[in-house]
Amino acid sequence: MGGLQTVPLLWYQILAAILFTIGVVGVLVRRSALVIFMSIELMLNAVNLSLVAFSRQNGNMDGHIIVFFVMAVAAAEVSVGLAILVSIFRSRETANVDDVHLLKG
Amino acid sequence: MLEALLFAMLSGVAVGCALGVVFHRNPVHCALLLVGVLLSLSGIFIMLHAQFVAALQVIIYAGAIMVLFLFVVMLLNVKGETPLLTPGAAKGFGFFFALIIFVEILWTVLSPGGQEGAPSEAMPLPRDFGSPAALGRLLYTTWLYPFEITSILLLVAVVGAVVLAKRKFF
Repeated sequence: MGGLQTVPLLWYQILAAILFTIGVVGVLVRRSALVIFMSIELMLNAVNLSLVAFSRQNGNMDGHIIVFFVMAVAAAEVSVGLAILVSIFRSRETANVDDVHLLKG
Repeated sequence: MLEALLFAMLSGVAVGCALGVVFHRNPVHCALLLVGVLLSLSGIFIMLHAQFVAALQVIIYAGAIMVLFLFVVMLLNVKGETPLLTPGAAKGFGFFFALIIFVEILWTVLSPGGQEGAPSEAMPLPRDFGSPAALGRLLYTTWLYPFEITSILLLVAVVGAVVLAKRKFF
């Protein structure tokens, strides 16, 4: 394993920026709460890519550890979020975020 | 050269699938396209010598989290929405703010200060870089407390999910 790397760090970061932006678009313009959750996963993955790329560049594995924690937090977030979504769907018959705009149940 | 070709292929698949996730009508297809993004990203992780993280990506994300997503999609039986995107000015603002964020990130990455601190050439890697052994050693020494706190977080998430799915709140 040498220091030879033909793909520069910059490309990985630009790819991460593109994926993150697509995730932001999904969160902001989609109406389905499920797809919004998927877009959040997309953003988390873009950040993971950036962390792993910096980790490779610095030859330091701390970035991998942070990716590990991001995955754990994502799993927790998805399980609770989807439970809330199922609960909302039971009472409102909708998974559309525009229809769920009141705190009152 | 080969590496650049591989990177171009994987990133092309990732970006294409990501666009599909955001703009596809059927939530099941969105979930499957998200699996495509996750798998191509795990390929990119392998290119970055992060073998264990790539394996975790496939097992946790593509395995566990996506199964949960598909399960909920099937459970809710959500029909494809008739207007796909939020109607009115919110859509325009959404694209506008996303563009601003993209420009901001690119600005940060491309500015001379953006690469500060990172070595210009990739550092030579230790022999066990990215291996489970090295990651575990780091996880149970330097990062022990965050690791333990994560276990509490997961416990809270499990209890919360069970309580939310069981009781009738509304």
